[in-house]
Amino acid sequence: MYTTDLTGKKQAETVAEDPKKLAAFEARVANDEFIEPKDWMPEAYRKTLIRQISQHAHSEIVGMLPEGNWITRAPNLRRKAILIAKVQDEGGHGLYLYSAAETLGISRDEMTEALHAGKAKYSTIFNYPTLTWADIGAIGWLVDGAAIMNQVPLQRTSYGPYARAMVRICKEESFHQRQGYEIMMAMMAGTPDQQRMAQDAMNRWWWPALMMFGPPDDRSPNTEQSLRWRIKRETNDELRQKFVDITTPQAEAIGLKVPDPALKWNAKRGSYDFGEVDWEEFYAVVRGEGPVAKERMQARVNAWEDGAWVRDAARAHAEKRASAKVAAE
Amino acid sequence: MSALHKPPASRRSAMAHAGETSVVKIRAILADIPDPEIPAVSVLDLGIVREVTDDRVVITPTYTGCPATLYIEQAIRRALDANGFMHVRIETALSPPWSTDWISDEGREKLRAYGIAPPPKGAAAASLKNDQRAQCPRCGSLNTVEVSRFGSTPCKALWRCNACVEPFDRFKCH
Amino acid sequence: MDALATSALRLGDDSLVLGQRLSEWCGHAPALEIDLSLANCALDLIGQATHFLGLAGELEGKVRDADTLAYRRDVMDFTNCLLVEQQNGDFAHTIARQFLFSNYQELLFAGLTASKHARFAEIAAKAVKEVAYHAKLASDWVVRLGDGTDESRTRMIAALDWMWRFSDELFVMDEVDAALGIDKAALRPAWDRRIDAALAEAALERPSPRRGVMGGRAGHHSEQLGHLLSEMQFLQRSYPGATW
Ligand SMILES: [Fe+2]
Ligand SMILES: [Fe+2]
Repeated sequence: MYTTDLTGKKQAETVAEDPKKLAAFEARVANDEFIEPKDWMPEAYRKTLIRQISQHAHSEIVGMLPEGNWITRAPNLRRKAILIAKVQDEGGHGLYLYSAAETLGISRDEMTEALHAGKAKYSTIFNYPTLTWADIGAIGWLVDGAAIMNQVPLQRTSYGPYARAMVRICKEESFHQRQGYEIMMAMMAGTPDQQRMAQDAMNRWWWPALMMFGPPDDRSPNTEQSLRWRIKRETNDELRQKFVDITTPQAEAIGLKVPDPALKWNAKRGSYDFGEVDWEEFYAVVRGEGPVAKERMQARVNAWEDGAWVRDAARAHAEKRASAKVAAE
Repeated sequence: MSALHKPPASRRSAMAHAGETSVVKIRAILADIPDPEIPAVSVLDLGIVREVTDDRVVITPTYTGCPATLYIEQAIRRALDANGFMHVRIETALSPPWSTDWISDEGREKLRAYGIAPPPKGAAAASLKNDQRAQCPRCGSLNTVEVSRFGSTPCKALWRCNACVEPFDRFKCH
Repeated sequence: MDALATSALRLGDDSLVLGQRLSEWCGHAPALEIDLSLANCALDLIGQATHFLGLAGELEGKVRDADTLAYRRDVMDFTNCLLVEQQNGDFAHTIARQFLFSNYQELLFAGLTASKHARFAEIAAKAVKEVAYHAKLASDWVVRLGDGTDESRTRMIAALDWMWRFSDELFVMDEVDAALGIDKAALRPAWDRRIDAALAEAALERPSPRRGVMGGRAGHHSEQLGHLLSEMQFLQRSYPGATW
């Protein structure tokens, strides 16, 4: 899963950078070179990346909750195994991305604290509830699908560890998307009850999925600099359009209706015209007012606090072992 | 086939030859079927194809719960059908159990190039020991440390290189 | 169901119920690494359950497949041991359960690899490598928690004390096990050695002997199993005949 570009604030950091170093850096980026952890980089670049990669990691972790909600109720053994494996994949992505962010000089504990304190964002999409099994299909197909669309351009992002991570993570997300679509396909080929669940899931997840591409370009303050630094490669609106164009025929192929009365093929543009996202809802969810935002954060905080004694024990044990080793030497 | 119906020797060798060429063709088809989660390697590279004859392909799962297995079987079916090998059956065998030692040398090189440290060879017995160092697939350093025994997908662990600080996946010995 | 099919059913039920329990942790574990490790164990167990239940269905006469067996039986027809259905509790309880069970399961599967029943042998040979990981993982945590902080030690002692009474059932032999040709009772000394070795490393005492609680193999379970099943089987029960 991938995080939406949620930052409403301008890059405020005006650290005075060495103009020569800065020019060399900008030239390397413009030349499509990768910036590596030990290379010089401007402070604003470092901070922007930490924010983006950690948001991405948080999204993977919080994203385990809505899908984890259905593991124990998966309808058969195969679907159960696939779902466990998928949620494990997402957790693994989170772990990998935290490690990638750590190469920029921040610790995982700091990032976790920021999440629990409500200072760090994660993708708005996970603040919606999973009500029926069809939601697991809709998430795999639409949410992982939107994530892939956001992430494929990042395979060429300027920061080496992030770009390389995206190459491998995208492949795994593609597998998830296939599995999600397969769930929807099976349900649409099934009983009227199943079809109703699938359409209902479509109705509830379609718009939040479109919100995953972030605010419209004219309200996205970071777009320009992020594009220059190749932290971003395509604008929010471009990606959103691409998603609608690819997903609509997939929906129609299995008999699902896209819940947008304004959706219409535009032969001149070679694209679908579609309705306006409810931006008021989007900004509310970004502010933390999503339907189950509180529940999600509560679950993360509880897991962290209830597990503190386990982490303490592991640390204490490792220290005992280390000092025993020193004493023996 | 009973002795009565045995074809003459000349025809037998022609059939054997046809059998051989179709085995070669089937193997070539399999070499183009990627693993669904790690498409850098093919199902042949991973060593999950146990046997190929002119009328059957025997595959084996990596882990008992691996969700990729069924997709691999479907992909093989599609590819065989598309190339006119509709009559070739796909069978699954559990025994002997798959091991990372079956990943080909070429497969290991592909994994490394893709950014995943390949599993060490002769791994089966050593799989429970943590002490083997992984080599950073990026800079080649052995100054590396395991971050988590489990990563995304059951077959990978997460490591970090202390030299170039790159986090990387390692294909676990199994 | 004949003895051999029942054997497969027992093996499948043990893995299924424990896999289901472990998967309840998903997203809520004390650390991300732990979350991934528990999910991975759950995945292995569900995979094993699929193989064993599939085999049970075949041996029974090919009427019920693995899913039918998993999703359409009620409590009294489940044959898992009582240990695996115990609730997760805190992390120490989950580890105590895993520690006692995985060490047994590894020994059992290792023995089964030599079984004259080829189908059992090949599933066991495949699964024993996975279960060896589970046993190692659980044993390592017993040591960490036992020899960690005062709190973790107290919790680990309480957890072992809770789970201990369900361990005798693992080694009970009956005619079903005899048909499979595996002597479960004979696994006990090796199991004792493994358990004692880890406990010694953790500076923990073996819980005092007590009367074992049994009944799982005969379908006489704890109150918890019904709740586990009603959650697991909800979709299949609510929408009979639907394909997912
Ligand atoms: Fe992900
Ligand atoms: Fe995903």
